Amino acid sequence: MRPFTLNYAMPTGQSAATTPYHFDVALQLNVLPDGRPAVSDRALLMATGTTTSTAGSQTHFDD
Amino acid sequence: MTVLILTAEQDVTADMVVAQLHERGVPMVRLDPADLPGKAVLSADYAHGDFDGYLSVNGHVLSMGGLRSVWVRRPGEPAAHAAEPSPWLTAETRQALFGMLYSASTRWMNHPRRAEQARHKPWQLRVAHSSGFAVPPTIVTTAPRVAQEFVEEYRDVVVKSASGPPPGEPPVALPTTLIGPDADFSGVAAGPALLQQYIPKRADIRLTSIGTRMFAARKAAVPGQVDGRFGDTGHAWEATAVPGRIARSVHEYLVLTGLAYAAFDFAEDEDGVWWFLEGNQGGQFGFIELETGQPIADTVAEWLSQRRPAHRIPEGH
Repeated sequence: MRPFTLNYAMPTGQSAATTPYHFDVALQLNVLPDGRPAVSDRALLMATGTTTSTAGSQTHFDD
Repeated sequence: MTVLILTAEQDVTADMVVAQLHERGVPMVRLDPADLPGKAVLSADYAHGDFDGYLSVNGHVLSMGGLRSVWVRRPGEPAAHAAEPSPWLTAETRQALFGMLYSASTRWMNHPRRAEQARHKPWQLRVAHSSGFAVPPTIVTTAPRVAQEFVEEYRDVVVKSASGPPPGEPPVALPTTLIGPDADFSGVAAGPALLQQYIPKRADIRLTSIGTRMFAARKAAVPGQVDGRFGDTGHAWEATAVPGRIARSVHEYLVLTGLAYAAFDFAEDEDGVWWFLEGNQGGQFGFIELETGQPIADTVAEWLSQRRPAHRIPEGH
């Protein structure tokens, strides 16, 4: 029998997005192709949605 | 003295704090426990009645004697990136890493033991009661009849997951959803259901608490909206003041839970009452800072940067 709560599950529609930044081991944060920290581009972070309350919910349930 | 951040490399919200620590000139090491063993190396020495330990990753080295604070953000499972991962290797690696960190005298945001308990939503509701928050009537049950009676009593009721969506592919979401009395409750016997009276709201409130600092943000709701995390309402998050009564309850909640950080969700009703929905011990804050400009990352960095008090015995909080 299917647990009641799972009757309300829905596809996220999210695919594995590629982000235009990569981790810099020296700076210990993610940087853009031009070397600037990814967090300096706030418009990009808003667009990629990587800081939202549902980000990471697949592995972490602390929204 | 060095700050240790336990999180995944792709965690850009942590980057916001790392950037602030760099600006402050505070040494830090960022480690994903998934990279241990392998990319990261650990040694802990318990001999001659004394203790010391070392962590290194990507050329950054941390001594337990120089550990200032630990921020548990979005860590991977220990040993998840190992060449031959296994549940046993994860358990062994968790013992080595956290056993060493618990042996050090340091400050935690948040201590894993406190965090583990604080993740339990039913317990959150009880602590919220004790803290003086308004809490919607809620039931957690595996009895279909009890669930049906609850819905018949309160009429407008939502179902929500206590632990988040199930893992797996393709990914699914479990948004908080309104249910009606005509729902088939037989599935309640197959898994605990958390049902809560729906609070018609005029706004969602997100309150981020760091130590003694609080930042509240408000987003106007649209009629009939249930879960503010899903769907675009056309409204943005805006900074808002924290009512004195709420501030006192938040303080009490943090004392009772032993948390240094928490992100609270409230529903603001038509009378302006903030109804407690949940307190997320590791809740996201990046989206709030980006929309409101509130200096949350800087405040987290400030908390992590504070010097630890001198204790001979490792702190349990």
